[in-house]
Amino acid sequence: MKSREQEYREIFMSEALEYYDAMSRHISELERSPTDESALNELFRLMHNLKSNARAMGYTPIGEVAHHMETIFGLIRDKEKAFTGSVVPVLFKGIDTIGEMVRAVGANEDLPDVVHLTANLDRLVQGEEPILEPETTDDEDATRKLELSDLVYIQVKKLDHLMNLVGELIIDRDRVLTLSQEIGNPALIAAAAHLSRIADELQYSVMDARLVGVGSLFSKFPRVVRDVAMAEKKDVELTMTGEDIQIDRNILQIITDALLHLVRNAIGHGLETPAERVAAGKPAQGHLLLSAQTERDDVLVQVRDDGRGINVESVRRKAVERGLVAANVAATLDDNAVRAFLFEPGFSMAKEVTEISGRGVGLDVVKLAIDSLGGQLRVDSVLGQGTTFTLVLPTSIAVKGALLFQLDQRNYAIPLMHTDSVVSLLPENFNVVGGMLLTRIQDENVPVVSLRRLLHNGDGPLPPAVRTDLEGRQDIIIVNYNNRRLGLIVDRFLRQQDIVVKPMSKPLDTIDLFGGVTLLGSGQVCLVLDVPALTRLFLAKRP
Amino acid sequence: MKNRILIVDDSFYMRTMLKNMLTDAGYEVVGEAANGQQALEMAAATRPDLITLDVILPDNTGLDVLKGIRLDQPDVKVVMCSAVGQEVIVNEALESGATAYIVKPFSEEKVLEIVGSALQEAASDQA
Repeated sequence: MKSREQEYREIFMSEALEYYDAMSRHISELERSPTDESALNELFRLMHNLKSNARAMGYTPIGEVAHHMETIFGLIRDKEKAFTGSVVPVLFKGIDTIGEMVRAVGANEDLPDVVHLTANLDRLVQGEEPILEPETTDDEDATRKLELSDLVYIQVKKLDHLMNLVGELIIDRDRVLTLSQEIGNPALIAAAAHLSRIADELQYSVMDARLVGVGSLFSKFPRVVRDVAMAEKKDVELTMTGEDIQIDRNILQIITDALLHLVRNAIGHGLETPAERVAAGKPAQGHLLLSAQTERDDVLVQVRDDGRGINVESVRRKAVERGLVAANVAATLDDNAVRAFLFEPGFSMAKEVTEISGRGVGLDVVKLAIDSLGGQLRVDSVLGQGTTFTLVLPTSIAVKGALLFQLDQRNYAIPLMHTDSVVSLLPENFNVVGGMLLTRIQDENVPVVSLRRLLHNGDGPLPPAVRTDLEGRQDIIIVNYNNRRLGLIVDRFLRQQDIVVKPMSKPLDTIDLFGGVTLLGSGQVCLVLDVPALTRLFLAKRP
Repeated sequence: MKNRILIVDDSFYMRTMLKNMLTDAGYEVVGEAANGQQALEMAAATRPDLITLDVILPDNTGLDVLKGIRLDQPDVKVVMCSAVGQEVIVNEALESGATAYIVKPFSEEKVLEIVGSALQEAASDQA
């Protein structure tokens, strides 16, 4: 076990190196604009932290230099001194020296001599001229050690390739495991079990290597929010939380535009102008929260505003006007079901097209991006108080939890992301309304359809359902897409399993009912159903 | 009941050290905030008995955070963490309602002594 001293030392080192990098960056900014207040504040703060931490660790020379540097940056910040003339090279030298000292601590070497530097820093504090060393000679450059970073940058393409190979390996692993059981040779079984463990570990290592902090995307938003708020004449304060939450880099890439759209929308349409807010009894400044958190295996990314909220009644009216739903049905839908219309193609609530967020891209595009990841998009809103969009995302694209079941002797899989529950029901638990089977699940009427009929019925509408079609217990998977629940009758549940989904090859890739295919340990091919497409098919074909 | 403490410091090193000292001494550390905004949110969400508050933070200064917390929670004890040379800010903090202050680099005994007496003060406030 690591001793506490060792833990402190490691934390000190990693933070000190981070500080050093940031200091180098900020002093270069200062060189370009010598009165840059935020650079000065940061330099002051970083020096201050380094001083405190170094003193606590007993690295007195680092603490000394940082203390002097902090004092001088404080003087410059308070305009008692200027970042010009001989001050500049001394401060650059100071930061270089800090870097050398921190590296020396890391390598367990003696700290460099800092007497000359601290004397010069003292002179600066007292308003005297520093004594500058002669220009660095070539000799010194030649003896300077080259440092290789502990980090490597790698192209995402290479990681993708690695992930694909691991996917293939996992499929072969399952195959070898099954074969070894069938053959029953103890040595083979032991070797297969070992292979399986190694493959698992490799899979998680590769998945882990692809993870990045959500902060790497969030960090681009303060600027976006400022620009959009200015163009829309809104006063917006942005808060971000959960920047450390880890997610697959490609998922972050795919949701970038969606998040940008949601943030623009929130400022353009969600938040009111300062005058409107004051009139509504709210603070003039609107608030926007960008947050990430983990929930079981998923990552939730939320965009929350405290603006005007979504008017459910006008969405309901518009859905009827657009012919998305009959007026009598619309009247019975609950608020969540009505808000789900916002994600239908071309459904835009913007009354006027504004420069920033009205470019004809609706929420349906956001929805499509999230669907392509096998994620979910939700919206919650309270009229007058604000709106929250929630993106439910998988941590990794490669492996998905799935429910395996059988239909007509064939194996199928449904991603767990879209599965609400599984139930086994007797015929008397069903009602037939308008030719459609309904069952009550958690106080809600859920339509139920035989998956066999849905898949094999051709293009026409489904024949009206009759209860006598049902014999004995029915195994039903309740799927959920865009707040619509649907029960699918299957022949038999098999099990829950992590699967590696491979895209369909041409020409089958045009069949959108299947999100891909996976191979089971038995070597059998298993089709992965796409719940969004299935739900759309049901809506189009229902009697 | 364990006393509940929120740590506010922008240095992970300082937070870890404080957390270890306080947890070892039997306190419950309910959160660690790295900037002013987080500090205000966590203070509101966790309602701690005591907050250790760094004087210099990236977004707000510690003083602004102190004033923000005081508006919302007049009773919480706040111990300022500062370094030598910040006496002016420390004095202002004490005038704005900070309970006590510790000077970095701090020793374990000093931290526990000051936190302990601040919490004792809190207990006698309620009695």
